Amino acid sequence: VGVRVDDGHRPITLLHSGAVPTAARDWGTAAPLDDVSRAVAIAGVGEADPSKASGRSAVQIGLQAIERALDDAGLAPADVDGLMTAGGMDDQLGAADFHAHFGTRHELWTSGEGGGMAWAATAPHGAARALRAGRARAIVNVFSVAWATQRGEMRGGPGEFHAREPWKAQFEAPFGWFPQPVYFATIARRHMHEFGTTPQQLGAIAVACRRHAGLHPTALMRGKPLSLADYLARPMLVDPLRVEDCCLISDGGAAYVMTTPERARDLRRPRVLVAGVGEGRSGTGLYWSQQPAFTSTPQVFSAPRAFAMAGLAPADVDVLTLYDPFTIVALMQIEDIGFCAKGEGGPFVEGTRLHFDGGGLPCNTHGGLLSHAYVLGSAHVVELVRQLRGEAAAQVPNARVGVYGGYTGHLASTLVLVRD
Amino acid sequence: MASDFPLPDTQHPLTRPFWEAAARGELVVPRCAACARFVWYPRERCPGCGGDAPSWQPVSGRARLFSFAIVRRPLFPAFAELVPYATGLAALDEDPSVRIVTRIVDCELDALRVELPLRAVFRPLRFPGLAREVVAPLFAPAV
Repeated sequence: VGVRVDDGHRPITLLHSGAVPTAARDWGTAAPLDDVSRAVAIAGVGEADPSKASGRSAVQIGLQAIERALDDAGLAPADVDGLMTAGGMDDQLGAADFHAHFGTRHELWTSGEGGGMAWAATAPHGAARALRAGRARAIVNVFSVAWATQRGEMRGGPGEFHAREPWKAQFEAPFGWFPQPVYFATIARRHMHEFGTTPQQLGAIAVACRRHAGLHPTALMRGKPLSLADYLARPMLVDPLRVEDCCLISDGGAAYVMTTPERARDLRRPRVLVAGVGEGRSGTGLYWSQQPAFTSTPQVFSAPRAFAMAGLAPADVDVLTLYDPFTIVALMQIEDIGFCAKGEGGPFVEGTRLHFDGGGLPCNTHGGLLSHAYVLGSAHVVELVRQLRGEAAAQVPNARVGVYGGYTGHLASTLVLVRD
Repeated sequence: MASDFPLPDTQHPLTRPFWEAAARGELVVPRCAACARFVWYPRERCPGCGGDAPSWQPVSGRARLFSFAIVRRPLFPAFAELVPYATGLAALDEDPSVRIVTRIVDCELDALRVELPLRAVFRPLRFPGLAREVVAPLFAPAV
């Protein structure tokens, strides 16, 4: 059960022959994506029940998410003719699982360029191309994990892939610079050094996520309130990060149904349109240790493309969901998307700025990976759609523009959604 | 994962000279003969100029602490006996863009600061249950 945190490039290949930037401003690139603005609608969303170890398989969890997304859209399984999944993970459901579960046998267009993480934002781009080419009319993107269940067997989870990666095994793991909490504690420390970022500021992100989780019906940290004082009193896990700075490990998943805007008008839910998509990548791959812009994410390459495609700007955003494996990753993305200047993320997130009720930039209104569930961004897109339809638990009044910031290894992605 | 994780494969063709040098108390980093750039992590060709076969060159072992984390609670069984320990990135004096991942040793954990001057020291990496040990460059505060 490997996690693909690299979209097809073997990291070792990248090291041996890849073109690598040398100037600090040239440490990554933006993917040249087709303009798909307002060419795709999200017509239905569904979340599987998130949980701690549940004994379920990723396939079972994914199928539950699809059932709920189809129910939400008012579509039957036979109406679905496209299926997008995380192609790099071998435990995800496929067409055969779909047919066996729903008792169907029709042709399904399939793509491995979907799923969660960065792909939760870029799947609509692949879907738009398939819709335009007439390969499919209703496409489901699904992602699920059973990592809480698998943890007892030491299978899966975010660390496994990294333990096998040759250069990490040579030059990082032997020194205890492993796994992810250590990388991101090191990044957080440097951010603190360069910009004066404080534990209180990282804590403000954890507190906002926890508050939102308390309002979400199925968030795993519902009923476990966290104040900033509570946060600061908690012990360090990997100094300067506490457990509360780190995401959960969960079973769960989500799905969303994509179709043309024209067809979505005839379906039962309010239309949510894809306005912009972006994808950026770091030239140093999965080697955070060597990334020239050590305290940045490839959102600096991704977000401007997505906003340009959408014809919108960060100031237009009403609600934000950020891939938040660690508080510092959310903080860096806030800077790198352009909600504030680089280095000013700390002061920016202080207090209630990220809260749903009048904070200015409501963020992770479902609780995020930190406090909702570690379902790797799939629920972040579901939450945005609910916000834009006006039906979220922690609803932002009159939310019209929503953004998901995805982040996975050397990739960042940006999805701009708008209410019709 | 490999049965002797987290020990490195010291016979890997692209990294063997690094471990051989460490065993004799020397820190070496690949450098391009054509353009003199350090090439870290190792590659078959220089990413700057395309020159082939960067060769391993000794460096002083002087560095600054670019950043670090202090692992206060065990995340992984192999490191449990080391906790609490400091691990992070040593930016070489010769070229600070070359960051060597290391443990920081012979130090007061709470006295560590970003930009602290460091020097390389050579110590065996030993892990519980593994007979093999590997001498590796670690870094200590330069006094």
